[in-house]
Amino acid sequence: MTRVEVDADRCVGHGRCYTLAPDVFDADEVGHAIVLVENVSGEQQKRAADAECNCPEDAIKLSP
Amino acid sequence: MTETDGFVNHTVAGLAEPQPMYKALRESTPVFRAPDVVVLSRLADIEMALKHTELFSSNMDAVDLGNIRPLIPLQVDPPEHAKYRRILDPLFTPREMARREPGVAQLVNEMIDRFADRGECDFHEDFAVPLPCTVFLQLLGLPLEDLDKFLEWKDGVIRPEGADGYEGRHDASAGVAQQIYDYFERAIDDHIASPRDDVLSSLIAARIEGEPLTRHEILDICFLFLIAGLDTVTDSLDCFFVYLARHPEHRHQLVEQPDILPSAIEELLRWETPVPGVARVAMQDVEVGGCPINKGERVSPLLGAANTDPAEFPDPELVDFRRNPNRHRAFGGGPHRCLGSHLARMELRVAMREFHRRIPDYEIKPGTELTFTAALRSVESLPLIFPVATS
Repeated sequence: MTRVEVDADRCVGHGRCYTLAPDVFDADEVGHAIVLVENVSGEQQKRAADAECNCPEDAIKLSP
Repeated sequence: MTETDGFVNHTVAGLAEPQPMYKALRESTPVFRAPDVVVLSRLADIEMALKHTELFSSNMDAVDLGNIRPLIPLQVDPPEHAKYRRILDPLFTPREMARREPGVAQLVNEMIDRFADRGECDFHEDFAVPLPCTVFLQLLGLPLEDLDKFLEWKDGVIRPEGADGYEGRHDASAGVAQQIYDYFERAIDDHIASPRDDVLSSLIAARIEGEPLTRHEILDICFLFLIAGLDTVTDSLDCFFVYLARHPEHRHQLVEQPDILPSAIEELLRWETPVPGVARVAMQDVEVGGCPINKGERVSPLLGAANTDPAEFPDPELVDFRRNPNRHRAFGGGPHRCLGSHLARMELRVAMREFHRRIPDYEIKPGTELTFTAALRSVESLPLIFPVATS
């Protein structure tokens, strides 16, 4: 299992994560990222990793 | 041509293909002192400048569009900036934009109806210009017959006639700017009298810690919307369709694999970077990449150069519709990340999807010489020819 975190101080609402991995991330009312599923594996983990490497602000952290 | 000439020319008359100029700047003079402005072309420096608004402000000294107060939220920096984004961001979330998508799809198809059976169109004039302007009028809740007036105004402030360098800009734009303020004064009165489901009514109803926005604040937001929301999507559409007309293999990929569209749009945003640079001003003496920049100097982080920096993008010159990851900065970054990025993405997605569904094959009319505009990358005219569907 991999743990998913969003650094709220870095997120400015590019919205890449919840577009690429809508089953892991969602948007709050201003469009900033929130984590829907904190522990991911399998296909979900791949999508979360996609979101991590596509975040222009480096706001997403995946850790074992 | 040296990179210096290239940059100076670029600010005067747009470049059809700016990417080699970006590369030359990045490799030879990543912090480049042009006559009016210090240009940053390395991704790391650009990212730093976008994040550190206390060092590189986007206040009124960064760019003059004839406005008499700071445009909101662009020309207000953190921490004050956050209170405006808190009420503006919810109006432009991907979810909110999805709600508008069917209306935009209908509008796009009505526009295509006007030229689909002619076998040709001026894509710029018939599509790229009216689409974002009409969407803007609908979004704000303004009469569609004001379209021509808006087109004149946005050109009047973005590409003012008689503006000679930075210093002449204010005077060249000030008259048009006043007309914009006057128009929105009346539009606000109208919306106060009869509120409806649109962005202007939402601004009037908005509260920051229980207090409504002042009339000036609403005006300064409307002015920003006008300059930020109209031209930029026109520029993107022009750049994308020029690219696709000239690269049929990429166009075929879009037609044959429609699911690739969202990632193709991200890649075209990266490669074309329709808004090639943003404007900042140094708030104190600072050093970037070993080069001193003095307090008060204007600084331009060149987003197009960031988007082709090999430090981030392997094979930056390769346009790959499946590129992943693609952390492009076409919408900037940091606190001033483009407020309308999700509106732009929605408009581009719908326009590209519907256009290619109905007109999958097209080319630039033979004999056409394209003229790119300065600063924001549109073309003055884009004549396309295509087979007429016989059904």
